[in-house]
Amino acid sequence: MNVQVAVGKNVRLIEAGKYLQAGGLDGLIAVSNGLNNFLESNAVYVLSNVRPIGESAVVLDRDGRSTLIVTPAWDGERAASISSTDRTIGTDDLATVLKDVADKYRLDVARSISIGLSLLGQALATGIGVRLGALPKPADELARDLARVRTAEELKAAEHATWIAERGYERVLEFARPGLREYELAAELYCFTKKLGAEDNFLLMSASQHNLAVRAAGERVLDVGDIILSEITPCYRGQFSQICRTTVIGEPRPLLREKFAILQEAMSAGLEAGRAGATVADLTHAINGVIAKAGYGDYCRPPYMRVRGHGLGITSDRPGDIVERNERVLESGMVFVMHPNQYIPESGYLMCGEPVVVTDEGCRALSAQMAQLDVIAV
Amino acid sequence: MRTMQPCVTIGSYTWAQDRLPYDEFTLRLEPLHAAMDRNRWPAVLVYGDVREHVALAYLSNFIPRVRWGMALLPRSGDARLLCAMSTRDLPAMRTLTWIADVRSGMGPEWEKSFDPWFEPLKTERAVELGTIDFDIMAPVLHQSVLHSLGDRFVLQRANDGVTVPPQRKRPRELTMMRASCKLLQSAAQALTDSWHHNGSPETAALDAERLARSLGAQDVRTLISLDGGRTLVPFQGLFEKKAGPLVGYLAVKVMGYWADMFITLDEGNSLALRKTEAALDALIAAARPGARTGDLYAKAIEALTALPLHPVLSASVGHSIGLSLNQQPELRAGDKSELAEDGVYTLQTGVADVQARNALLSAIVRCTAKGAEVLARSPSPTR
Repeated sequence: MNVQVAVGKNVRLIEAGKYLQAGGLDGLIAVSNGLNNFLESNAVYVLSNVRPIGESAVVLDRDGRSTLIVTPAWDGERAASISSTDRTIGTDDLATVLKDVADKYRLDVARSISIGLSLLGQALATGIGVRLGALPKPADELARDLARVRTAEELKAAEHATWIAERGYERVLEFARPGLREYELAAELYCFTKKLGAEDNFLLMSASQHNLAVRAAGERVLDVGDIILSEITPCYRGQFSQICRTTVIGEPRPLLREKFAILQEAMSAGLEAGRAGATVADLTHAINGVIAKAGYGDYCRPPYMRVRGHGLGITSDRPGDIVERNERVLESGMVFVMHPNQYIPESGYLMCGEPVVVTDEGCRALSAQMAQLDVIAV
Repeated sequence: MRTMQPCVTIGSYTWAQDRLPYDEFTLRLEPLHAAMDRNRWPAVLVYGDVREHVALAYLSNFIPRVRWGMALLPRSGDARLLCAMSTRDLPAMRTLTWIADVRSGMGPEWEKSFDPWFEPLKTERAVELGTIDFDIMAPVLHQSVLHSLGDRFVLQRANDGVTVPPQRKRPRELTMMRASCKLLQSAAQALTDSWHHNGSPETAALDAERLARSLGAQDVRTLISLDGGRTLVPFQGLFEKKAGPLVGYLAVKVMGYWADMFITLDEGNSLALRKTEAALDALIAAARPGARTGDLYAKAIEALTALPLHPVLSASVGHSIGLSLNQQPELRAGDKSELAEDGVYTLQTGVADVQARNALLSAIVRCTAKGAEVLARSPSPTR
């Protein structure tokens, strides 16, 4: 076990402390399974600024004292150099050290709350329960709620992630050509965005003459007439950003441009409707309305599309999925991706999406160049 | 070796039927069927997630790109595979496995996909079902499983009665391991060349990753030292030049099979490096079928002559490798597991010491009756 002391706190940690005091709670145990889902909030990252390698936890007590526990033990030094918690411990036995820290803080488990325990592996979650004598009451929404509106620093990171995504897409336009395999194109894009500082990338990239959906790159050899779909999602300092693009090798049929224009119009409607105070449902209706008006209302459901956008981890995935049943109210400063991606029988699946920030006047795209139907000349 | 888990695996995972034909999976299922007969289980449920999916991949070829997957394998009848993906994504998921019936297990799809499959298995009394790797399943999903099965089924842990996959690699697995090791060796050379050319550890690691991915690696993991080998860190995107030595870790996945390697490039011929090389040689010489893992550990420690084992090795000098980067058994002090013939192991040694300096080296070996066949080994530390 390797214990290190750090200084400084992040705003989420302070807010979490206030939440405990306001609720008369004794402590908070936030855990991460280390899987880094880009559609989820990683509570350990939110409270410590550390993206963990393995299973990890932040323990916060009623007086604002905090400890980050990371696995494996050898990652403790890196974590300590970044963490905003008071102390950092590297260990290979998370459950035992968690118990030690809870004892040190004299946490009353019955009056404490937890985030993320239900996402750990069963064996570890059970082990923690046995060590602590019980599991704290789940408050799984807390981290994503506290972080639902981006701070100025987080917004800056999201803007930089968007900049990386756009440069990555420019690289796709330069690099893609007939004869290249999908995975070769994906490899180039992935490593190119890493070179620009992206620490991760939820990258889907696939091609077909008639796409059913976007998927991960396979072994298909690109050729003239292929429509390349890209979902480029780099992460920079904990902020994922996403652009969705459609690219044709060779001159596209006029029909393709006509159908893509429907998605662009839906995007414009979404941007306008997504003002602070509106609900996610309002925004979704605006997007679906355009697509229905074009005659594809029956296709506004899976498997012809998935959602009209979604929140972006790893700090907070609020406002959640952009779907008609989501009544969450949009708040100024929320960031998410809006994508009216759609299967259309005459053209196949097309992609058009931008990361946006909510303002009082509507959603503002973080990307400098909105999606258009791009062409790779042959 | 634990590394930073990416949010999605981006390589090509399509089921390569020419390399891993359907009959391969029929043979892989035989020991499981025997266990089902012994225990009177009409079905076994096999779980895997994006990080650890060794049994799921071995039996179904399915590797979750995100979240989780679960194979419902009956003793007789048709298998079903559930994945945590939208119905929109199912056509792509169906290309990853021999199981024809692939369904979404997400949200409202769960009950439609999971529950009906068990209807034919119901009897008057509660039926016992085997489970594999449910220990790593999230409690929230486990609750859904229990809720759906109700009191008509009882889950029994099958991991204790049948080892999936066995330590001994099948012939086609050995072919996959050789392909993975070959690609790893090429990537290690790219890392070495890049380091000698530009002196930036992160640039060297990224150049190795780019080469591996462009050659079809499904996944690539790197750790690199920014302090001369004392600690290893995941990618930080700084690309600063550093004085040597370069110490790093590289892992590649090909057709589902991992190969990994520690690399030390040090012109100084440090004591740490000399002792680490001696320890690796001792491990390779001792690796043969029946050798006890604890004994191998002792030989490596003896060769290090009181220098401390590098902390990133977490008190282990290697382990089995294949469909997982962290496969059992591990070579630890006192461990009494035995190496198997045609088992493939990553043997890892290293030192972190202020005076002797730092080094990490490794080799991947196949265990044969004649001794260890080296499939991959760290490149020479000096030019």
